[in-house]
Amino acid sequence: MSNKTKPGALALCALALAAAPLSAHADAAKDLQVAGRALTFLENGPTGKATLGVVFDPSKPASVAEKNAVMAAIGGGMSAGSLTIAGKAVEAGDVGSVSGVQALYITTGVNAGPVGAAAKGKKLITIGSDVSCATSGACVMSVSADPKVEIVVSRSAAAAVGAVFKAAFRMMIREV
Amino acid sequence: MKTTLFAGASVGLIILASATAASAQSIDYGAMEQLFNEPVTTSATGSPQRSTEAPVAMEIISAADIKRSGATDLPTIISRVAGLDVLNAGAAGADVSVRGYVMSMSPRLLVLINGRQVYLDHYGYTAWATLPVQLEEIRQIEVVKGPNSALFGFNAVGGVVNIITFNPKFDNVGSVTVRAGVGGHQEISAVKTVKLGDKFSARLSAGAVQMDEWKNTAGIANNLLTDPARVSANLDTLTQLNDKTELRIEGSWSNVQISEVVSNNSYSPTKYVTSSVKGALASETKFGTLELSAYRNMLSAKHLVVGQAAKFDNEITVVSAQNLFKIGAKHTFRVGAEYRHNEVNTAPIAGGQLSYDVYAASGMWTWAVTDKLSTTAAVRFDKLELERSGTFPAGYPVVTNAYWDRSIEEASYNLGLVYRPTGFDSIRATVAKGVQVPTLVDLGAVQLKVVQGPFTIGVIGNPTLQPSIVTNFEIGYDRALPALNAKIGASVFVQKTEDVKGQPSTTQLDIAPTATSLPIISYRNIGDSKMKGVELTASGKVEGGYHWSADYTWTDVEDQPLAGYSPAGRSAAFERTTPAYRGNVALGWENAQWAADGYVRFVGGFDAYNSASVLVAVDGYASVGGRVARQFEQGFTVALSGQNLIEARQRQTAGLEAERRAYLTLTKSW
Repeated sequence: MSNKTKPGALALCALALAAAPLSAHADAAKDLQVAGRALTFLENGPTGKATLGVVFDPSKPASVAEKNAVMAAIGGGMSAGSLTIAGKAVEAGDVGSVSGVQALYITTGVNAGPVGAAAKGKKLITIGSDVSCATSGACVMSVSADPKVEIVVSRSAAAAVGAVFKAAFRMMIREV
Repeated sequence: MKTTLFAGASVGLIILASATAASAQSIDYGAMEQLFNEPVTTSATGSPQRSTEAPVAMEIISAADIKRSGATDLPTIISRVAGLDVLNAGAAGADVSVRGYVMSMSPRLLVLINGRQVYLDHYGYTAWATLPVQLEEIRQIEVVKGPNSALFGFNAVGGVVNIITFNPKFDNVGSVTVRAGVGGHQEISAVKTVKLGDKFSARLSAGAVQMDEWKNTAGIANNLLTDPARVSANLDTLTQLNDKTELRIEGSWSNVQISEVVSNNSYSPTKYVTSSVKGALASETKFGTLELSAYRNMLSAKHLVVGQAAKFDNEITVVSAQNLFKIGAKHTFRVGAEYRHNEVNTAPIAGGQLSYDVYAASGMWTWAVTDKLSTTAAVRFDKLELERSGTFPAGYPVVTNAYWDRSIEEASYNLGLVYRPTGFDSIRATVAKGVQVPTLVDLGAVQLKVVQGPFTIGVIGNPTLQPSIVTNFEIGYDRALPALNAKIGASVFVQKTEDVKGQPSTTQLDIAPTATSLPIISYRNIGDSKMKGVELTASGKVEGGYHWSADYTWTDVEDQPLAGYSPAGRSAAFERTTPAYRGNVALGWENAQWAADGYVRFVGGFDAYNSASVLVAVDGYASVGGRVARQFEQGFTVALSGQNLIEARQRQTAGLEAERRAYLTLTKSW
């Protein structure tokens, strides 16, 4: 790399770093939109205001950053289809005792296995931003908005919490 | 068989303030589109699918597209879809086909509203002006390119247009539109959805329009033309019978007069009265989503054929049942059965009655092989049993009604493979076979006598006519370009039509005269036709509220007539009547108050049949349309729009010249 290009490259890197939180924020908002709308396709699913527990691992910076981005995206209430989503930060170790939430959003980096098991015990829907959360069976559903909306539902996890999605929805998403 | 994957208790802990009112049996297109960030459709396989994952070549025109189009009729809107050919016969009469083969009374495009056929079976075409739908009540128009008989049955060979209206159960729409324009255009329409309690919802719409026909600069006899006018109304109701079951009842009516070109290429001042009633019961059961539907279409069509008044009363009754279900995580199935009864009188010479019954069974299987690869196989088998009753015109060859006791048995299929290597790319390969059944007119509903010089010739349909079989092979590639906020697509296709139908021609007798009978001309299968083509599409958005799209479709048609038949003489010279290319360029801009859109459509030169059924050259042309609109508070919108804006009159067919038309539209929305 020539000296001439270094300042430009450094500036780009700085710009990218500065933009990263914004980008993560934007992605979190999009993913949440998908998650919230997907919940409306549950049989006897939520309507009105739904509080989402945002599960994070305080020892993992990426998880904390995603939690912060998700909570910022939710703000005082995020509209997603017919739902208005409120957020409540929940440490991963506290899922077993969580209350006042209607579903859990599991950030990337959280050990999804124990969290998912605890959520199943409480018959709570779990949504992961990482597809492996659903494919491993820990989460009921994983969602991602970019580059294309992808929704993966774990049939075993859904059955464990008694979640039944509407037939048309099931034909348009990926089940594992 | 395990069809309910998540059997068990409902999710008690996620029930919030109140439970969802009821399960959805009909598709909530709006919620699905918002969820997946793209339109959804059931017109590809009968199963709900995202448009980018449908195993057919398809474009979906949204309600926003329709609003921005500035168009006042469906053919103008549809003409802006890549690969569609439109012959504008007059101010309100048009024929539409997909990728070539457009002709007067174009039979290859099956058109439906919410799955109910509005294609007219007697002559086998769609009189677009008769469709009892207001543009403001359309949620989306799904345009399938290529055969889809495996889902929709006969005549879905060139393509399918399924018009999806707003669903009163899910959508809340209301508007009144008043429009006036040059050429005596006066129009009013209203649409409103209402909900009565939690269980009942309805959509009502009505409209009336009249205009002057384009000026007769083509030397058409004035008695063959009429100023177009239309009045129509529609009622659509949904009743939630229980949490899992809904009943949808629809009724429609339209009364229309237009100048149109009938199948002998002559103009006719046609009058139509259509009515329909449909009931559909849908229920989510542990065996799948069951749907039972029945509808009846009634048509009274008064054409002028060879100077003779021909009034056809055509009644269609369709009863169908289907079940849609998923087995395991990867397999979706649809099984269906359909019964159809179709009857019409003979005309202009009365005395006979033609009818047929169709029994059909169909199935579809979609297999999500991996998260990137899916395959679909759909098959359908139709058995048509034809019969005739009544008398025959004097001077016709001696036959009995038993000559019409005939059955047609045909299978059709759609095979598709969709591969999505990344979230940006989609590759689609399809093979499809469609069946174009001879129309009731072709089979014998038309019977008339034509005086040709010193001779009188009899015209009658041909009950031995074979269906035309269309086989289509296609590979398509679509790619999203997020950096440019755009997407591009390319398709290559090859199509063969076997047993092309040729029209009666006074240049070729089909049955020689005898001492006691007239010479007869009729319909004949005259050979095959092949088509190949390429389609390119691109669209995107640019910061600042701009959007754009462009498409180009090239086709090459080769007619392969049987010895002794002339496609040109039989009004079936598709090699000459199909333009080599057609395309569109659109650019628009909008902000919170203003919207401006411009459309350029260009069509390569082609030959067209004039009223004497002689092929004449039509030069390639470009036409421009557009709309500028200002939105005001309280739901008021004022729009200035126009079509064919380049020239005062432009030759686009061998008939009337297309006129420049401009409109001022006032809309109040709720």
